[in-house]
Amino acid sequence: MRYRRLLAVPAVALLLAAACGGDDDDDDGGAAPSEGQEENTGTVNLMSAGEPEEVEAYQQIFDDLINSETDYDVEIESVGDFEEQFQIRAEGGNLDVAAVPQPGAIPDLVDSGSIVALEDMGFDIDELNDTLGESFVALGEYKGKHYGLPTNINLKSMVWYPKDDFDAAGYTVPETWDDLMALSDQIVADGGTPWCVGFESEGATGWPATDWMEDIMLRTAGPDTYDQWYKHEIPFNDPAVLAAAEQFGDVMFKDGYVLGGAQATPDIAFGDAPLPMFDDPPGCWLHRQASFINANFPEDAEAGVDYDWFQLPPIDQEGTLFGGELTVVGSNRPEVVDFLNRFIAEDVQCEMGGVQASSRISPNVDVGPDCYANDILADASVILTDSLSSGTGRFDASDLMPAEVGSGTFWTGMIDYMRGGPDNAESVLDQIEDSWPS
Amino acid sequence: MAIDTEEPTAPPEPGAEEPAGRSPARDAVTIGLFALALVVGAVITWVVLAQALDYMRDQDSNRLLVIGLALALGVGGIFFLFWAMDRLVNMLPRDVSERVRPYVYVGPALVILAVFLIYPVINTIILSFKDNIGQDFVGLDNFKFVFTDPSMLRSIRNTLLWIVLVPLCAVSIGLIFATLADRLRRGEAIAKSLIFLPMAISFVGAAVTWRLVYGFRPEGFGSNVGLLNGIKLGLGQDPVAWLTIRPWNNLLLIVIMIWIQTGFAMVVLSAAIKSIPDEIVEAARIDGASELQVFRHITVPSVLPTIVVVTTYMVINAMKVFDIVYVMGSPEANQTEVIAERMIQWFFLSNNDGRGAAIAVVLFLAVIPVMVWNVRQFRQQEAIR
Amino acid sequence: MSLTVPLPTEVEEAPSGATVTASETVGVRRGGWFTKIVIIAVVVLWLIPTLGVVITSFRPETLADTTGWWTALGHPFRTSEWTIENYRLALDTGGFENAFLNSLAVAVPSTVMPITIAAFAAYAFSWMEFRGRYVLFVLVVGLLVVPLQMALIPILRLYTGGASIGGVQIFPDLDLTGTLPAVWLAHTAFGLPLAVYLLRNYIGSLPSSIIESAKIDGADHFTIFWRLVVPLSVPALAAFAIFQFLWVWNDFLVAYVFLGGTRDTRVLTIALAGLAGSRGQNWHLLTAAAFITMLLPLLVFFSLQRYFVRGLTAGAVKG
Repeated sequence: MRYRRLLAVPAVALLLAAACGGDDDDDDGGAAPSEGQEENTGTVNLMSAGEPEEVEAYQQIFDDLINSETDYDVEIESVGDFEEQFQIRAEGGNLDVAAVPQPGAIPDLVDSGSIVALEDMGFDIDELNDTLGESFVALGEYKGKHYGLPTNINLKSMVWYPKDDFDAAGYTVPETWDDLMALSDQIVADGGTPWCVGFESEGATGWPATDWMEDIMLRTAGPDTYDQWYKHEIPFNDPAVLAAAEQFGDVMFKDGYVLGGAQATPDIAFGDAPLPMFDDPPGCWLHRQASFINANFPEDAEAGVDYDWFQLPPIDQEGTLFGGELTVVGSNRPEVVDFLNRFIAEDVQCEMGGVQASSRISPNVDVGPDCYANDILADASVILTDSLSSGTGRFDASDLMPAEVGSGTFWTGMIDYMRGGPDNAESVLDQIEDSWPS
Repeated sequence: MAIDTEEPTAPPEPGAEEPAGRSPARDAVTIGLFALALVVGAVITWVVLAQALDYMRDQDSNRLLVIGLALALGVGGIFFLFWAMDRLVNMLPRDVSERVRPYVYVGPALVILAVFLIYPVINTIILSFKDNIGQDFVGLDNFKFVFTDPSMLRSIRNTLLWIVLVPLCAVSIGLIFATLADRLRRGEAIAKSLIFLPMAISFVGAAVTWRLVYGFRPEGFGSNVGLLNGIKLGLGQDPVAWLTIRPWNNLLLIVIMIWIQTGFAMVVLSAAIKSIPDEIVEAARIDGASELQVFRHITVPSVLPTIVVVTTYMVINAMKVFDIVYVMGSPEANQTEVIAERMIQWFFLSNNDGRGAAIAVVLFLAVIPVMVWNVRQFRQQEAIR
Repeated sequence: MSLTVPLPTEVEEAPSGATVTASETVGVRRGGWFTKIVIIAVVVLWLIPTLGVVITSFRPETLADTTGWWTALGHPFRTSEWTIENYRLALDTGGFENAFLNSLAVAVPSTVMPITIAAFAAYAFSWMEFRGRYVLFVLVVGLLVVPLQMALIPILRLYTGGASIGGVQIFPDLDLTGTLPAVWLAHTAFGLPLAVYLLRNYIGSLPSSIIESAKIDGADHFTIFWRLVVPLSVPALAAFAIFQFLWVWNDFLVAYVFLGGTRDTRVLTIALAGLAGSRGQNWHLLTAAAFITMLLPLLVFFSLQRYFVRGLTAGAVKG
């Protein structure tokens, strides 16, 4: 009796399996990107570290210019903790395309087999060099192949100032570093505080200070030494770097130069830092920060009227510091390649530059200044594309260094420097040098 | 009271018949058929699930329908699975069936845990012996780092502080509150809900909440909107950057976790307190015991197992704390690092898989004493039962 | 199978002292002023931070950023102090309804599935004898320590490509990433250790006399579990349901990794994260969003309160 009951189970099972096994699991929803290898369909998922409002606007542009014309869909995602989520997707094998702000991450990604080379996807590097600037494209190079496509660039060597009050006080835009220091002294003499500085950014506190160091390094030691610095061909505590750190300290630690003092800078949110410029009278007058900061200015502040900017002056030589994104690919599919080609094309890039909420500048040298939503971006774009074509600009060094240093000890080292005072420069640099992974 | 510690004297199985003669050969065949039935049953379940799965995974499906399907399959299906397996076990010879049945009951849980948690643990342990991209073996280098790097040592020190203070405060306050609230004639539900509220606020909400308490802005950068600085200004003093004062800032962050977790302790302990039979408490009161004595000699011992559970959970949670520390300022600069935060920092932000994994392994090892304590408590309780 | 134990056929309102027992006449301090004062004190202390959040969520942006929330208490009737604009903006977030439904679709199954599986396991750990009982249980509980961030990448790899050892496929390539079942399974797995822990504790502390007498009456394990243990464990089941629902509802990371952040699939927490602004400075919006997302879990909490009944087992022992 028992046996019969037991046998009944497999019998029923076989019947059921025969009945259901016929129709296979053919998913009909467009959820599986592995389908459509031949037909250029499916979804291309782009991870971006941009702000949600920006990204929404970009999605609109993609919908209009790309999704409407192609069989595949591009979905752009605005990601909160970008580095963490990006690493999870890349190592988990779920990455389509990502716009990465830190090219220094590329070598490890290549070694672990997570990303695909541009050459393997059919891109012509010479063509890319012409369109996007060889120095930028070269940043994605590793072991002879290129892995990142430049898709966004922002200017970092900018000093913002409250134009209306500035002009009213009779100050003039400085052309050299000495002029800049003289201007700062003038402001102090007039009873004001020249510099607005803030480095706080939660777990990333300290990054704006690295921008200062890089700007100064470029202008004192020059682009070649700069390259040696981020490639670790010279140690982090090399005399050239120390000299740059001391020059940085000359601004930060001088009495009355920085609003709140240098030791308060790690506690002031970087986005709050420029706000005293808009008080009456301005709490501080000069703010050195990248092009995206004007999104934090008061809504009623008008570009060119209430505020303006000038390029950080040369010290021993000129320099242009920029940051940006290299887009990397995790999955080599026809629709992905097609999307990338459209992404860097002039029309899409021009539209993206026109988005109000964004401060995106296109590395595509054919994208002209009239594509941009405001004059500030337009002027910056000219400087950038010039430096790209001539090869004099340099990418943010901390984003090129290994993450341990570039997103770790370099940041915290700067905080220690601010809190510890000018005499600490050497020991801070020593510590950063010690932390460089072998 | 018969205590269930030996071989369970099984009650007569429904529908299981005692065959006239049992031979090893027949037993073997039976067990074989049982195994086959189990496998085939699993296959059926799989096929049915796959069909429903396809519907549920489609991103355009009606969400409510998906929920309904998930409930039917998830709960109904799982329940059916257990029932079916139980029935199958009944067909085995009696002594074998009673040995097998417990594994059938815990089996699904163990399988899921093996795939989703144990496999990652093994993966992590292996990674901890490898380099930063998880390719070459580097022996114990990562572990050496964990125990020599100053930031790591600080994180260990800080974590010890967390795992002592958070459970101590959360469980004590939760217990006392649950006991007192139990006695309220009215408003018990409201009082408990208000203590529970911090748990319901998402982490982002909690972060904003406490920024509005600890926030600081230096002179010239706007007025202070943080409560503590508001009080200080009200008293005529200067505002303070609370979260940067080392080492007290650790305590400030610990307060946040206590604020959140006490609700959990309270809810669980409340359920336990409510299962203490009334008669015992009344008897003690009639005998003249004071409330404090009732608490000490009846309430606490009765819910001791639950206190162990809640404390264990709090300790483990405190070991894993990451968000709170990460979001409130720069942990390394403010010296508020904790082990889990260091793990995330090294694994994800400094892109060093090996070090991150080694820190995780240290965390795994650190939980062993807690588990040993649990086993002891577990055994003691069963002995009494 | 008849059981001599009277089972609760309905669940009533939690009787907060409504039943008059002998203690009423004896305990003067039972529910008296001491109790009330301590309770009120603790509640007030706990509420102060939350009060800041509530008030800020109703204040206009400029005020929220430039003045402390306590100043609003000074003149509560000035209409310029208050606004519901923040809530309007939060609710206006693109795809709010879709995200809400997604959150629900993630949270409900992720709550009930682990309860079902864990209940069986907890029963076995409590009332069944088998080899490896202690070891397996402690292993399950020990898994509580596994930080879920460490599990994300391995699981994602499994979902995306399956797993094989030496060319042999031991885990099929289900291509689950970006689907709801992926998140359900993940949440179920992450919730199981706590579920088993809590439920085992509660089920194990049921008076063994009940179980014994049921066995003597001839009930088998399944019947004991389903008809006796589960109804008696309702407070513990309800407690865990609350926590799991809450945790899944407020979760961001697991949903983001396994479901994604695109317009169709994102859950509420992801949709509202965009309100934070580039440096998290939009206090007014964040507080409003926090309150909106908090409503449903609180509702769940309230509605499950009725299961925290006193004396479920009291009557049972008499059998």
